[in-house]
Amino acid sequence: MKRLLMLCAMGLGLAGAVQAAGFETRAATPAPALKALDLKGATRTLADYRGKVVVLNFWASWCPPCLREMPSMERLRVKMARRPLAVVALDSAETREEVDAFLSRMTLGFPILLDPDGSNTKRWKVFALPTTFLLDAEGRVRHVLTGPTEWDEGEALVLIESLLAEVSTR
Amino acid sequence: MRFLRWLMLGLVVCASAAQADLPDYQAFPADGERLLLWAAPERGRAEPELQAARLLAGRGVSVWSLDAVSAYFLPQLPSSMDALPAQDMADWLRAALGSGKQVAVYAVSRAAVPVLRGAALLQPAERQRLCMLLMYPNLYTVAEALSEPDYLNVGDLSGLRVRVLQPRRSAATPWLPGQLDHLARLGATPSHVILENLREGYWVRETPTEFEIAESRRMDTMLLRELEAWGCQ
Repeated sequence: MKRLLMLCAMGLGLAGAVQAAGFETRAATPAPALKALDLKGATRTLADYRGKVVVLNFWASWCPPCLREMPSMERLRVKMARRPLAVVALDSAETREEVDAFLSRMTLGFPILLDPDGSNTKRWKVFALPTTFLLDAEGRVRHVLTGPTEWDEGEALVLIESLLAEVSTR
Repeated sequence: MRFLRWLMLGLVVCASAAQADLPDYQAFPADGERLLLWAAPERGRAEPELQAARLLAGRGVSVWSLDAVSAYFLPQLPSSMDALPAQDMADWLRAALGSGKQVAVYAVSRAAVPVLRGAALLQPAERQRLCMLLMYPNLYTVAEALSEPDYLNVGDLSGLRVRVLQPRRSAATPWLPGQLDHLARLGATPSHVILENLREGYWVRETPTEFEIAESRRMDTMLLRELEAWGCQ
C-alpha cells in the first residue's frame, strides 16, 4: 500500500520540494533489455556501459520532480568523471521535439536516450516518474528509487560509492 | 455513568444517521435531460472542478458533486477511496438513476474505485443505463518497478460503458492498454481518449502551462464533448 501511495503522489507530481530518498535494494537481478536511440541517432544498449556502474534514470520533460533532480545528476557526472560510472537518462514516451525543447533550456553532459513509443518504459515496468535504477558493473539491478533525490550527496552517493567499490575490488 | 450512557446513545444515533444517508454531495441543478455524478479525487474537490460544475449546470446538465474524503471525514489518501462503502455508492447511483435523467458518472484518479464498486452492485439493467467517464483511473493494487502490475477486482461490470480520459503527459499513459484490458475482463465496454498536452490533475498544478490553464477553464466543454462524441445517451 505504501508503494501505491507513492505512485499516486508521484503521478500528480505536486510535491514542492525534493523528497528524501527511499531506495529499494534488489537481489542483484539481471536488468531487462534496454534498446534506445541517443540524440545522434545511434542505438544504445546496456552492453555499451558494461564494466561501469550505471545510473539509469527514466524521466520526462513535463515532470517537475524529474527536472529538479537533473542538475544533481550532472554534478554527479562531473564529480565521477574519472571513475567507472555512467549516468544515462531515458526520456519516457515523448517526441524528439519535446526533448530538444527541454535540452535547449538545460545543458547536460550525460547521454539522453529516447523512448518515444514507451517500449523501454514498459519493459522496465516504470509506473511513476522519475524512476531510477542503479546497476552494478555486471549489468544487474541493485537499487531502485521511485521519486527524485539529490544524486551527488546523501544516500544516493553512498550507494553509488558502494557499487563503485565492488568494481575496484574485482 | 449518566454521561457515558448519553455518549453511547449519541454515537448510536449518529452512526445510524450516517448509514441511512446517501453520501453528502453538492448539487448543481439544471433543467436538461442529463445528470452528471462527479466524484472528486482523493485530494478533494478543487475550485476549477466546482466552476466546471456550475458551467455545466448553466448548459443544462445537472451535476451532483461528491467530495468523498470530506463527506466521510477521511484523510486525503488513495487508500481512503478504497475504504468507501460500496453500498453507499450503489445507493447514490440508484438515486441518480431514479431521477429519470440520463446519468453519467465522472470520477478522477482513485475515485474510480468506489464508483466502479458501486456500479458492480447494481442490477445489470441499471448498470446498462450508466455511462462512466474515468479521468486517469488508478485501478492498481500494486504497481512496482520491474514487476507486472496487479489490478483491483472491483466486481462484475458487465454492461457498463466506460470511457477513460488519459492525459498524454502522464507516467500512466504507456500502461493505458493494461487498464482497458482489465476493465474489459471485468465485463465493462471500455473506450478511451488521449488528452494531448495535458498532465494528470492539470487543473490543480502548481506550475501549469498556458494550455493547462486554458483547459482548466474549459473542463465543462471537454466533458460535454466526450459525452456527446462517445454517444452516451
